[in-house]
Amino acid sequence: MPVFDPTTTAILIVVLLAGALGLAGYLVLSERKIAAWIQDRKGPNRVGPGGLFQPIADGVKMFLKEEVIPAHVDKVFYLLAPIVSVSTALLALAVIPIGPTTPPPPPLPIPSGATPAQLVDQLQRQQAEYQQQTSFVLAPGLDVGILYVFALGSLAVYGVILAGWSSNSKYSLLGCLRASAQIVSYEIPLGLAVLGVILMTGSLNLETIIARQTEHGPYWFILFQPLALLLFMISLYAEDNRLPFDLAEAEQELVGGYHTEYSSMKLGLMLLAEYVHLVISSFLVTVVFLGGWSLFGLEALLGDTALTAGLKVCILCGKMLFLVLFAQVIRWTIPRFRFDQLMNLAWKVLIPLGLLNLACVMVVLQWGLPWVTLTGTSLLLLVGAGYLSTRWQGSVSVPRRKVVPLPPGLPPGVTFAPQH
Amino acid sequence: MMLPVQTPAGLEPAFELSAYYPILIYAAVVLLFAVGTLIMSHALPLKPRKPTRVKLMPYESGMDPVGTARLQFDVKFALVAIMFLIFDVELLFLYPWAVIAFGADSSEAWRTALGGTAFWTVVVFLAVLALAYYYEWRKGTFTWR
Repeated sequence: MPVFDPTTTAILIVVLLAGALGLAGYLVLSERKIAAWIQDRKGPNRVGPGGLFQPIADGVKMFLKEEVIPAHVDKVFYLLAPIVSVSTALLALAVIPIGPTTPPPPPLPIPSGATPAQLVDQLQRQQAEYQQQTSFVLAPGLDVGILYVFALGSLAVYGVILAGWSSNSKYSLLGCLRASAQIVSYEIPLGLAVLGVILMTGSLNLETIIARQTEHGPYWFILFQPLALLLFMISLYAEDNRLPFDLAEAEQELVGGYHTEYSSMKLGLMLLAEYVHLVISSFLVTVVFLGGWSLFGLEALLGDTALTAGLKVCILCGKMLFLVLFAQVIRWTIPRFRFDQLMNLAWKVLIPLGLLNLACVMVVLQWGLPWVTLTGTSLLLLVGAGYLSTRWQGSVSVPRRKVVPLPPGLPPGVTFAPQH
Repeated sequence: MMLPVQTPAGLEPAFELSAYYPILIYAAVVLLFAVGTLIMSHALPLKPRKPTRVKLMPYESGMDPVGTARLQFDVKFALVAIMFLIFDVELLFLYPWAVIAFGADSSEAWRTALGGTAFWTVVVFLAVLALAYYYEWRKGTFTWR
């Protein structure tokens, strides 16, 4: 366990909070700019050069808006909801590596014939050496790592339920019901997808997961677990209520979903929580599947330690930013699902695929087959699932309403035939 | 002061709460930030304060609200919650095994002595889970109507 150092902790907390807030603001801008680019508009371009100060203007606007607390709300829970949302979102950042990391040392093997005093001495030296290393994590060496992130992700449901229920409005209630059903359903494929990686690394600690991918060359888990990466990213988008899974706040049907009745900074905190979730998901994908701070040995080119550390921070954050922008492009590429499609996708497609993938990893590791086998099984499962979906009239791809072809001989422009 | 602990994998430092101190401090700061932002935004003197009857109504696309919002909701949402509970608890059973089963940190001795047993136990566990999954599928629990 590393020694607790108040100064480093304070610096990292300030960096994390300021980074998360600033990034969330600029992600709103990039979201609007990408939307504009795809829809052939200009997007925000009035505040500052090219709209660069738009996030600041937005923040000031959020603060200066009238604080409306509607008369019909359950006041305690109504005010608690944004607090719960934003704190659970921000708290998950505590175990996420944002730069170069050193994994905690493995347990010391006990050779026969060694005296306890020698062993303890050796362990103390090992720990002292570990404490010399700097890790760009707020709480380094935490052995629950990824479980902590998942736990806080589950807690985020409370913010949504509290907001929807206490608002006492029909749109909010519908939005919160949908959101909670969606978030709990996609939690399972999320856990299943990452189990394969945990089997391969044997640790929940995120620093160790990075180390396993880098210590023998660039063995990123995207190479061995492409299917798990796909399941993981789909589940993460659903967890974050990103399009194509934003049923919870589908603007065209539910106005704002669970935050319909929120205004001013209360709404600001809710939106901030959403973008922080997106950032954390991208960090998780980067760390678990994309090799963290490694980039084909490029990170080792600079000999100087300080420069290397900076470079690794840049690589990790660059990968994260790429994934965030990818999510924002996806938003404008794939249209929204229907709710029954969404639930069927989780329960009938992602969970069986996750279980089969887990079974493959188990078998391969138990019999000591090479890891490359897993790439094959992943691709086989993916292609097999695709093949089955074309053979089998599934409820995800096929419309539930009966489609009746029009009788021949109708004049052009007639799109329905009257029933006789 | 570090306390050594002997585990099947070897000698490890014991659990120390000090590893969680940064998270505790961070939690306090984050809570302070969230509550502080709300209070500051509430107390700011610059902002308009003109509550009207219409502003304080539940929003229903400009119409006067009809009935109460405390609606009964469909039992299928409860069903999803129950299914989630079952599968999530099953997953939680798998995490400890996943950490110790094949990782470099678990000892060779553990793997030769118990690895096979653990593997087949998990296979049986997953088979039971798959059976339950098949039953639920045929029962129509996963079909959203």
